[in-house]
Amino acid sequence: MTQLIGYYTTQFGELWDKSLFDLVEEAITGVLKQTELENKQINAVFFGNMLAGVLENNLHSPSKIAEILKINIPIFRSEAACASGGAAFNLAKSYLDVNSNKNVLVIGAEKMTDYSPEETITALSAASSGEEQEAGLTFPGLYAMMANFYLEKYHYTEKNLAYVSVKNHYHGSLNDKAHFRKKISIEEVLKSAYVAYPLKVLDSSPISDGASAVVLTNKSDVIKKRKNSVSILASEIITDTISLKERKQIDEILATKIAADIAFRKAKINRGDIDVAEVHDCFSIAEILAMEDLGFWKKGSGGKRIKELSTMYGNDGDLIVNTSGGLKAAGHPVGATGIKQIGEIFLQLSRQAEKRQVKNAKYGLAHNVGGSGGTAVVTILGI
Amino acid sequence: MISPIKIWRRQKEIRVILGKKGKVLAWTKIYAAGADFKKYAPYPVVLVKLENKEKVYGQLVDFQDQDLKIGKKVVSVLRKVRAASDEGVIAYGIKFKPL
Repeated sequence: MTQLIGYYTTQFGELWDKSLFDLVEEAITGVLKQTELENKQINAVFFGNMLAGVLENNLHSPSKIAEILKINIPIFRSEAACASGGAAFNLAKSYLDVNSNKNVLVIGAEKMTDYSPEETITALSAASSGEEQEAGLTFPGLYAMMANFYLEKYHYTEKNLAYVSVKNHYHGSLNDKAHFRKKISIEEVLKSAYVAYPLKVLDSSPISDGASAVVLTNKSDVIKKRKNSVSILASEIITDTISLKERKQIDEILATKIAADIAFRKAKINRGDIDVAEVHDCFSIAEILAMEDLGFWKKGSGGKRIKELSTMYGNDGDLIVNTSGGLKAAGHPVGATGIKQIGEIFLQLSRQAEKRQVKNAKYGLAHNVGGSGGTAVVTILGI
Repeated sequence: MISPIKIWRRQKEIRVILGKKGKVLAWTKIYAAGADFKKYAPYPVVLVKLENKEKVYGQLVDFQDQDLKIGKKVVSVLRKVRAASDEGVIAYGIKFKPL
């Protein structure tokens, strides 16, 4: 079975002294050092990145990575908006399913803070439909529509959403690679300025720079040498309509439900077996919908369940969610996010999560979403 | 990027959904906008289900705050949707007015 044998991530944040490929190079060097592999032992690379083409006029990144690695191998870039990293991982796993005796490097990276917020918001909206762009709907705007609909349907308030951010900022305070390491209160979330009603600044993940990398292998001699290896039990990617309006339900991400059902079936475990999860909390509402769509919480109960904070580290819940700080506090360098999520699960299962280590974690799940739900990737790891 | 040809092509789709009535399915008010819309912020955007079941997005214009609610009846109107492109072609599109 394919094993994940190492993870490295750069700091996430506003990294003005680093370019996109400075970050990529740091992630590659870091993960190769950790796995004690040399460049020439890598047989293929998958790179997740969304915005370099739009923001920097910078495409053909595989050959740029070849220049960094100084090797001649297959290198592919995947783009699926905020699920670009998860998609790269899924492709790497599929590559190993049909190619034996290989080491594969998966990198996700994004450079977002060189530009004004308006320029970055416009670039991100490239991942929505033409009609959504024409109406001036930003990504916060699309998730705000989902939030507004959900709050009204199930009689919740903005305060229910705020618990997600409070929990994830607490987790971020335990992760020294996180963009934000500051704890926040419910009152601070509720007092923060609106981005798109009913979502506020502190309901939203930030614009961040960062790069993360993992190494996957199905080479038995490499696996034998590694003491921190984790099994990839399933990785499933499902797509849906790019437009929110074309979906059957506004307050549900169907791609997540389908990907999760298939992933659990293939992994041959149940929802209750998962000890740690990284779910796609680009906005507070997204974590609540993710917990419902992944099948951890009953539909409509998320607003109430989050207030119990059973998914917060230190509260003795059966399932701890977003120990990295999630997208909200760890930061959201779009292409890197999906790899950081899987990397965080690797750290938890291999007992390297330090101050936020969940005791006896055996199974973990990573959930990465592109756009307003047009792509979802669900990955299950186990030891 | 917006080009005059894209604007021209889009006009053919817009004309058939003008003057249509429908109800608000979901709404938001955008405070942090992209570059093309920054000068209009904050502005409300609604997702409307037309009487023929088709779903259309648009900004809400000529509104009072109490019009921002699910189920509100609205009608589609033709309005400028962005600032003029570099070539000077103004993009018109669908917006909604409360009924």
